[in-house]
Amino acid sequence: MTRAFWTLWKREAGAILLSPIAWVLLTCMALINGFSFSQCVAYLGQGVREFTVMQIYFYIFHFWFLLIILVPILTMRLFSEEYKTGTIEMLLTAPVRDGDVILSKFAGALTFYLLLWIPSLLGLAVFQVVTHNAVPVAWIPLGLSYLMVTLVGMLYLSIGLFTSVLSKNQAVSAMLSFTIIALLFFTGFLSYLVRDPGWREVLTYIFTLEQMRSFSAGQFDSRPVVFYLSGTLFFLCLTQRVMANRTLRG
Amino acid sequence: MIRVENLTKKYAGGEAVRGISFSVEKGEVVGFLGPNGAGKSTTMRILTGFLPATDGQIEVAGAKLPEESLLVRQRIGYMPENVPLYPEMRVEEFLEYRGRLKRVARKEITERVGLVLDQCGLSDVRKKIIGTLSKGFRQRVGLADALIHNPPLLILDEPTAGLDPHQIRSFRELIKDLGRDRTILLSTHILSEVEMVCRRAIIINRGKIEASDTLANLAKRVQSGALQVEVKADPVGAREKLAKLSEVGGVVELNRVGEWVSFEVTALPGKDIRGEVDDLIKRENWPLRDFRREKARLEDVFVELTQE
Repeated sequence: MTRAFWTLWKREAGAILLSPIAWVLLTCMALINGFSFSQCVAYLGQGVREFTVMQIYFYIFHFWFLLIILVPILTMRLFSEEYKTGTIEMLLTAPVRDGDVILSKFAGALTFYLLLWIPSLLGLAVFQVVTHNAVPVAWIPLGLSYLMVTLVGMLYLSIGLFTSVLSKNQAVSAMLSFTIIALLFFTGFLSYLVRDPGWREVLTYIFTLEQMRSFSAGQFDSRPVVFYLSGTLFFLCLTQRVMANRTLRG
Repeated sequence: MIRVENLTKKYAGGEAVRGISFSVEKGEVVGFLGPNGAGKSTTMRILTGFLPATDGQIEVAGAKLPEESLLVRQRIGYMPENVPLYPEMRVEEFLEYRGRLKRVARKEITERVGLVLDQCGLSDVRKKIIGTLSKGFRQRVGLADALIHNPPLLILDEPTAGLDPHQIRSFRELIKDLGRDRTILLSTHILSEVEMVCRRAIIINRGKIEASDTLANLAKRVQSGALQVEVKADPVGAREKLAKLSEVGGVVELNRVGEWVSFEVTALPGKDIRGEVDDLIKRENWPLRDFRREKARLEDVFVELTQE
C-alpha cells in the first residue's frame, strides 16, 4: 500500500469518527444489538434448542434489517459530500491516484463498519459470564460468522461507495444503495419459490441469509467468499470508471 | 511553464473553451481575466489535471497532460475557487495531511508546515478548527495548502474573492512576494488586482482568448483615455473645431459656467490627442483653465474587449 493510501485512510477514518453520525450509529447499533441479543437469549430460555445463541443472533431479522439500513447511511457521504462541498477538487489535484482515493474511502468505511459489530461481541461475553460458561464458545463458527459479516459488509459498502460517486446529493446516493442492497438481499428469498432447479441454484448462490446460517453453524463454503469478493471488486471498478469520467459532472 | 495549444473543452450543453492557445514563461506573474462564465475556471481545472480536455496539447511544469497528470500535480500548487477545505480538521493538522499527500519528505513536514504557517500569517490560528475560521483565514489556509510542497508554479483561481478590502490588500502583498521566485497564473475579475500584481494579462471571453499582452500594451489597444478641457470660447464653434481635428473620435460638452465651457474629447483608438488639442487652443487663443487626461485603465480594456 502506498503512503498516499495510508494518509487518506487515516483522514477517512478520522472524518467518520469525528462526525456526529458515527456516534449516533454506534449508540443505535448497541441499542438494537442489545435488544435483539436479549431476544435471542429469551428464545433459548424457553427450552432446549439445537442452536447456539450466536446462530440465532446472526439469523434474526433485526440483524439483517440493521445491516441493510446501516451501510447506506455509512457510505452516502463518502463521495457525495466531497462533490457537494467541492473538496474533491482539492483532493484530486494533489498527486494521488484515483485508485488510492477509492480504496482509502472503502477501507475507512470498512474500519468503522467493523467497529460497529464490537458491541455484539460484548453481548456474547456478558452471556458467557452470566451463564458461567455453561456452553463453551464455539470459536470456529463464531469466527466464520464474523468473516461472513465482513464479506457481506465489503460488498454492501462497495455498492454504497459506487452510488455515492454518482450523486452530489447524499439522500439520493443513500436511497440508491439501499435499493440495490435490499434487492440483492431479498432476491435470495425467491429460491424458496422458484421451481426450476437451475434458477434455484443461482438464487441460492446469492442467498445471504442461508449462507450466514451455514457459516454460523461452522460450515465453511468457498463459493460465497468468491461471490462477495468478486462483487466488491466489481463495484470498486465501477466506481473507478465513474470517477475517471468526472467530466459528466460539469 | 505552461504551454497550451488549441485547448477545447466541450460539455453536453456546448463548448466552455474553444481552441485557446497561450503560454506562461518561467518567473512570470500572469493575470487570467474574463467575465463570469468565460471559461477561466474550466481552463484552470484542466491545467491542474482535474478535468480532462476534449482536445488540444497541454504542457504544465514540464510534463504533458493528461499522460503525466501525477507529475503535473506534484509540481503545481493549486488554490481552487471558494477554497474548499475539510471543516473538521485543525489548520496545522490539515496542512500536515496535505503535505503528506503531496509527498513532502517525512522529515521535512513539520518544518514546511511551520514555514507556510508563517508565510501566510496563520501562526496564531494553527490549532484552530478550520470550520470556525473567518473567510479571510480560510483563503490563507488554501494558499498555505498550495504552497506546502514548495511548487515552482502556482495556479490561483480567484484568490481574493469574498475578502474585505484589508484582507485583499494583505493578500495581494503576499502574492506579490510569492511572485518573486515563482511562476503564478491567477484568475480574477477584480481588475485593479491585476494592475497591482501582474505584468501580463490574458483576457478570455466566451471560451476564446481576446488578448494576451503586457498591461502597458493592452492599455494602448483601446482609446487612451478621454481628455477634459475647459476653455472660454463660443460653445458651438469650439465644439465643431475640436471635432474636426484628425485624431479626435468624439467631443461631448460637459457643462457651462458663465463664459467657460468644458468638453470631454475622446481620441481614436491608439492615438494621443494632447498635442493636437493644445495646438488648436493656442491657435484660437482660448483662455484655458483645465486640461487633463484620464489614464486608460485595465477596466476600459476589459470592457472594450469583452463587451457583447
